[in-house]
Amino acid sequence: MYIPEADFEYLIRTLSEARSRATELAVSVGSRLGSEHPLTQLANAAASNIENTLREVRSAAAERQESAGGLADLGSALQIEIPTPHPAPAPVSTAFTPPAGLDPEHWLHAFVDQLWAQARASGGVSFESAERFLQQRKDEFLRDFLIARRMYRTYPHLFPEIADETRQTTSPLG
Amino acid sequence: MTFDTRGFSQLTRQATDLMSETADVPTVLRSRLGAQHQLTRAAQEMVASIEIFVRELRSFDASGEPVVTDYQDL
Repeated sequence: MYIPEADFEYLIRTLSEARSRATELAVSVGSRLGSEHPLTQLANAAASNIENTLREVRSAAAERQESAGGLADLGSALQIEIPTPHPAPAPVSTAFTPPAGLDPEHWLHAFVDQLWAQARASGGVSFESAERFLQQRKDEFLRDFLIARRMYRTYPHLFPEIADETRQTTSPLG
Repeated sequence: MTFDTRGFSQLTRQATDLMSETADVPTVLRSRLGAQHQLTRAAQEMVASIEIFVRELRSFDASGEPVVTDYQDL
């Protein structure tokens, strides 16, 4: 049983896009019908299943890469020259400074950190990796958004300042 | 309880696109790993859940259409 790298790339790309779309659909359906509606729950279940499948495919792809790395190590032990899949690591500048005033929890920090980590580990960053990292940040944002909205709807008394703002904007006398 | 059913046709189309774009994922995995592999079964479960969601969404969308059609006919 063997999955070619091209198949892994296709599956990961397809599932990443599907996960993003399914999450957006779940948000859209939930905003119209509420989080407890059966359709919202079906949308969340579909998004969750896509997420699980994507995780398993990525895990299988990582195992495959580790197997390839193991082969390289074996070659080294046997003093056989095996071409490395990545170019030699180049010196990486760490001169990135986030814009002043950017919240420490802003997604840009995590995104740039991931890019640097990838660059250090493999000596470069591909467009596919950058897209994947950005997608992860987007998905994380949407998940946090869903949780925050659910919390606000379930426990509005915990967010008095938002409730006050809402009252002021909706009141004709406000 | 009333629901905002506007825009559900668009959501149904998007969900249908999602279903068609992911339909061949189990096929690819089955051809490489076999029908009994965990990944294949996870993908089949994923596709089944998307299909159920799309079916229910279509049903919900269709159930709202006659009202809109009636108003348009007037």
